[in-house]
Amino acid sequence: MIVSPVKIWRNQKYVRSMLGLSGIITSWTKIHVPPIGFKSHAPYIVVIAEFSNKKRLTSQLVDWEERHLRLGQKVVTVLRKTRDPGLEGVIPYGVKCKPLDS
Amino acid sequence: MKVYLRGAATTKFGELWNISPRTLVGNAVNDALTQSGLNSKDIQAIFVGNMLSGALGNQEHLGAFFAEELGMIVPAMRVEGACASGGLAMHAGVLAALSGSYENVLVVGVEKMTDYQPEEVASLLMGAGSEAEREAGATFPALYALIARAHMEKYGTTEEEMAAVSVKNHYHASLNSHAHFTSPVTIKKVLRSPVVASPLKLLDCSPISDGAAAVVISTVKPKSKKHVAIVASSVSTDTLGLSERHDLTTLQSAVRASSNAYEIAGIGPKDVDVAEVHDCFTIAEIIAMEDLGFFPRGIAGKSILEGETRIGKKLVVNISGGLKASGHPVGATGVKQIVETYQQLLGIAGPKQIQGARVGLTHNVGGSGATAVIHILALQS
Repeated sequence: MIVSPVKIWRNQKYVRSMLGLSGIITSWTKIHVPPIGFKSHAPYIVVIAEFSNKKRLTSQLVDWEERHLRLGQKVVTVLRKTRDPGLEGVIPYGVKCKPLDS
Repeated sequence: MKVYLRGAATTKFGELWNISPRTLVGNAVNDALTQSGLNSKDIQAIFVGNMLSGALGNQEHLGAFFAEELGMIVPAMRVEGACASGGLAMHAGVLAALSGSYENVLVVGVEKMTDYQPEEVASLLMGAGSEAEREAGATFPALYALIARAHMEKYGTTEEEMAAVSVKNHYHASLNSHAHFTSPVTIKKVLRSPVVASPLKLLDCSPISDGAAAVVISTVKPKSKKHVAIVASSVSTDTLGLSERHDLTTLQSAVRASSNAYEIAGIGPKDVDVAEVHDCFTIAEIIAMEDLGFFPRGIAGKSILEGETRIGKKLVVNISGGLKASGHPVGATGVKQIVETYQQLLGIAGPKQIQGARVGLTHNVGGSGATAVIHILALQS
């Protein structure tokens, strides 16, 4: 799959607008069979999170422990490397969620 | 609506490495045309449902490709709507016939998927999702796993209830010589199969398959005493991405398309005798039963586990084996659902024939519910 460096660049404004949001997990799954570009991450967690500004996002959960895998778990959005770099050599960064202990 | 089904056929679905897409389509069209009593010169337009021929096979422009291949130099076009491509092609074909522009229309669905690595196919299928979902490394099993988790939380749906969908559909497929899988499975076997995206396991997931299906539709009433009419064809859409939806436990596109289809046909869910629904994952059939109004919300899983939708019951669901066991060659699926329903209503479905069905419904979904296509077929005499 082609990931255009221009598209990554164009996307930066959106990524910035999604950082530092806090919210809760509304669903989660642990992916054991990954698509291309994510083999080195598997198994990994994908969540749907709803933030206090009512925005919602599907993203990976990072820095998690088993106890965080529940609906209602508090999370905050952070900047992380997303997929393995393709042939273009650009390292794509994007939004991921991190559990918040409260 | 005055559109009639004149002929309908599918190839066998499965890992068909020695058969090309052109041969698959040729065989399905040949069988459908023979059944229709028409010949290729009578066909005035072709609609092809397909999702991945460009990305996987480097072949776009499928309308002209198959028009040439079939020796029918007529208006021809490809219709794409992810896993609902076949159903959408059918919808486009029905509208084309209703417009009065064409009397006899050929609708074809085809997908060739098993020549490639599964992870390659999985990545390309995510073209049907949203950018955020792709960036998160989500797969289609993962998106339906997110749906499943929300349904389990809200209604107490269990992994055993989901497994029961797989068991039923594998049993039905064991009666279908064209199915990808013809071996029955047990609940224990489903629950012990490897996890793909928790809580979904391998045997909760439909396979990657090759296959084609074709139907001939016409505005001319067949001369036979019994015939099948398309009494409703309806499409609705929703957000591409799951996270944009307020409720993960329903596909509102399917609710809207089916309620519109019931209204067009002048019937309700209770009138449906046989339904082919989009069970790309077991949870999808449970939600389909609720979205189509067959069971109240939160009840479908238990009812399926109790065998309420198996062969022999009043409403039989996925008698072909569904996507789960009959196979899921993406572009072919929506057309195959029409073929199966047509055969059931006419009483020509072979060992899997159910008795006395007069009204059938097909439910074809693209993406994680961004497109839903509903057709209602009725036996007339």
